[in-house]
Amino acid sequence: MTFRVLDPTTEKAPPAGRLAPRLDTLEGKTIGFISNGKEGTKGFFRHLDQMLREEHGVARVVSRTKSNYSAPADKHIVDEIRSWDAVVSGLGD
Amino acid sequence: MQLASKSYDIDSISAVQELYHSSGWTDGLPIVPPTADAVQACLEWAMMPPDQLIGIEPVRGLAITAEKLAINAVMAGCLPMHFPVVVTAWTAMMQDEFLMHGATASTGGCAVLVVLNGPIRLELGASGTFNALGNSDRATAVIGRAIRLCLINLMDVRPGVIDRSTLGHPGKFSYCLAEDEEDSSWLPLAEQRGVPKGASSVTVMAAGAPRQLMNEWTTRPEEILETFAAEMRANLRHYSIHPGNYALIVPKQLREHLQAAGWTKTDIAAFIHERARIHRREWADVGKGAVVRDRGDSVYPAMESPDQLLVIAAGGPAGGFGAVIPPWLGNKSHAVTLPIGACIDCEPPKK
Repeated sequence: MTFRVLDPTTEKAPPAGRLAPRLDTLEGKTIGFISNGKEGTKGFFRHLDQMLREEHGVARVVSRTKSNYSAPADKHIVDEIRSWDAVVSGLGD
Repeated sequence: MQLASKSYDIDSISAVQELYHSSGWTDGLPIVPPTADAVQACLEWAMMPPDQLIGIEPVRGLAITAEKLAINAVMAGCLPMHFPVVVTAWTAMMQDEFLMHGATASTGGCAVLVVLNGPIRLELGASGTFNALGNSDRATAVIGRAIRLCLINLMDVRPGVIDRSTLGHPGKFSYCLAEDEEDSSWLPLAEQRGVPKGASSVTVMAAGAPRQLMNEWTTRPEEILETFAAEMRANLRHYSIHPGNYALIVPKQLREHLQAAGWTKTDIAAFIHERARIHRREWADVGKGAVVRDRGDSVYPAMESPDQLLVIAAGGPAGGFGAVIPPWLGNKSHAVTLPIGACIDCEPPKK
C-alpha cells in the first residue's frame, strides 16, 4: 500500500534579513550595543566597550537595553541604529 | 479542494514514520500519516480554504495557513472535530501579548498550556476529571500534541534550533486540559475572562510544569489556599520573581470546601494575591543572595493584580491534590482567551 503524505513544514524560508556592509576599520566609528538587559550582559558589555575604545580606536559606544529581553528591540532603539556604524546584539544569556 | 503542500509517495507505514522522523518533523513519537483526504476533512469541518491565513508570526515573518495547521493536526492524531480548537489556540498564540517567539525559544523551557471551556469539551469528550493534567482523554492529548507539532514544523521550534530550552518539561509533548464545569458552581475560566456564557473557548498560557501540592487536613478555605500560596511563594523564590499569570488547578475535594464556604474564583484570587508574595531578602535563603543587594525589603507579589490568576476546576473526584502552574517568565507573556469560531480581525480597527 502506498501512502501519499504531505509536507508539514512551511516549505518557505523565512524572509531573509540582509547583512549591513562590513566595516574596513573600527577607527573613529560609532558602535551601538543592544543589550537584552540580563545580569551577565553588564560585565560583558563594559569590557567590550573598553576594548573597542582602547584597542580599536572606536570613537563612541552607545549602549541601549531592550525593555523585554525575550522580545525584539523596542522601536526607538531600532530607529536609532541608522546613526551608528555597527551594532553588537544577540548576546548575554 | 486543492492543497499546495509538497507530497511524497511512500511504500509502507514504517517508511512514512522514518521519513517524518529523519526529516525532524515529529516530537519523537509515531505520527498519523497526513494524507490529502485527512487534511481536507479537517479543513472542511472548520469551513476553511487551505490557503486561509491564520496569521503571520511577527518576529520572523512566517505565514501560517490553515492547510499547514491541518497537516500537523492530523499527524498529532486529531480528528476533524478537534481542528477548530487547534486553529483557535494558534490564533490566540499569535496575539502580540502572548509573545510566541520569546515563549517558545526561551531557555526557560515553558510549554503552551491550553484550557478548554464551553460545550465543545462535551462534544469532543475532553475530560476535566481523572488525571486532568495527564493522559485523561483522546481530545486533550491530540490537541495539545498538535500545538507542539505545529511549533516544530511551522516555526522551527526544534530543540537546539529555535527552541533553546535548557530543560523543557513533559508538557511540551501535550499540555491541554478541559475545565470540569459540570461539577463546579464556579464561573468557567473563559467566562471569568470575559467570554460570553455558553461559548466554547480556548485559553493559552506560556506555562511551566505543574507544581503539585496536597492538603487533605482541613476544610477551611484560608488554610487550603495557603497551601497554594505557599507553592507560589516557593516558585517566586526558586524560579522567577516576575509577576504574571499563574494557574491554579483545584480538584473536586478541595473545591467542595471552598464552595461550601461561599468562596468564588474572585474571592480566591483576592486571597491569593495577598498571600502569594515574598520579600527579596528571601532569595538569600535559597542560594540567591548575590542578587538581593540593597533591596531586601522590597516585596514581590506573584501577580500584579488578582485578575492575573487563572483558577481552573479540574481533577478526579477524590484526593486533596491541587497544582500551581507558574508562568514562563511573568508578564513577558500574557494568557489569551478566545472563543472558538469568532473572527478577531473582522471588526474595524479600534480608535
